[in-house]
Amino acid sequence: MGVAALVGTRKGLFVLTGDETRRDWNVEGPHLTGFEVFHATRDPRDGTLHAATNNWVYGATAHRSSDQGETWERAEQIGLPEESGLTWERSWHIEPGHADEPGTMWLGGTPGALFKSTDGGATWEPVQSLIEHPTREKWNPGAGGLCCHSIQIDPSDASRIYIAISAAGGFRSEDGGGSWTPINKNVAADFFPDNPFPEVGQCVHKLLVHPAQPERIWQQNHCGVYRSDDRGDDWERLEDNGLPSGFGFPLALDPADPDTAYVIPEEGAENRVTPNGRLGVYRTRDGGASWKLLKEGLPQQAWASVMREGMSFDRLEPVGIYAGAQSGSVFISPDAGDSWVEAAQYLPTILSVEAVEWQ
Amino acid sequence: MAVILLPSLLAREAGGEGRFETDAANVRDALRGLPIADLLFDERGNLRPLVNVYVDREQIDDLKTPLEESTEIRLVAAVAGG
Repeated sequence: MGVAALVGTRKGLFVLTGDETRRDWNVEGPHLTGFEVFHATRDPRDGTLHAATNNWVYGATAHRSSDQGETWERAEQIGLPEESGLTWERSWHIEPGHADEPGTMWLGGTPGALFKSTDGGATWEPVQSLIEHPTREKWNPGAGGLCCHSIQIDPSDASRIYIAISAAGGFRSEDGGGSWTPINKNVAADFFPDNPFPEVGQCVHKLLVHPAQPERIWQQNHCGVYRSDDRGDDWERLEDNGLPSGFGFPLALDPADPDTAYVIPEEGAENRVTPNGRLGVYRTRDGGASWKLLKEGLPQQAWASVMREGMSFDRLEPVGIYAGAQSGSVFISPDAGDSWVEAAQYLPTILSVEAVEWQ
Repeated sequence: MAVILLPSLLAREAGGEGRFETDAANVRDALRGLPIADLLFDERGNLRPLVNVYVDREQIDDLKTPLEESTEIRLVAAVAGG
């Protein structure tokens, strides 16, 4: 089994396939031309490709391909119930369900909504408990809208699901999406000076569960990088430890090491470019106590930005890290971040990168 | 039969077919019967605001416009974007 990077762009989906070294990559595509691909992934249970797709005229939908991208099928109309007063605006993230629940898929997006499919993405039903969440009136859209962008299934328990919405915060369900508990304790919302630690309203940019130690969760937030060791019940802010800024969007992990994480900081909310005029990936190997700049093979003069879905990791040893910049370049490290190659350049604006198994 | 002509993206999403014949009574019913109706209408059944509908080369706003035997409906995305 090889590896591929599914690269979602403003103008379709590209597939980067690599050799065993993960240093030479072939660019194939674009697929789904005419659609913005906010995120794409491969269902490890059956090999189907799934894409969260949007068109500025024709709205938000999702596509799937059972032949590695040769042909695509669009989902039936995706919509929110009339009584909600909400309409489906944008598809952000599409996530396969638990390994024990074949055919189950999850789709998150704007306006702070989540859908579930039990037929492999052909049809989607809104998750009513989130639409009716008692804290919804306290949610506020971030610059990208009120987007549900992170969906994580606990690999040890199919009924435990995490989502994150910007700017509503993180939520955990223990009953397969029937109810949602805010998990934002000690996560700052500095943009609320009168109440910087509210129950909800935090601007999570990305939230990931560690695959091998699922009680450990990481998040890159508008207001810092955080780690939780108790399924989100409490969070520790990881700062003053080598990161040039706590602001950033993407996040990646190492499946083999729960203490390792990767972020790409930006200067701050008011100037969203990589700090110090360089593209730097920062890695911690001690649970966030310290961070090291990784730069070998990355451009040393760059004012880049990598969006929240723009970084990923594979399941190989050593872990491969993938980052796609809005400038259209994809940078890949086959050695856990120690060195990088520019696997593609001049792609349309990159919205997402997902490393997947590939035959 | 009235005819509906689709732009290329919609034709691809319709399975490669850019021309459909219809015996629907009006424009709305004709468009709702297309395999890409979800791309034209939101979940409330409202025509998406940047989808322009032309009937016999005249842009229309009233989707109840009746269809006749030789009517040609053309769908055009609003000119915008980059």
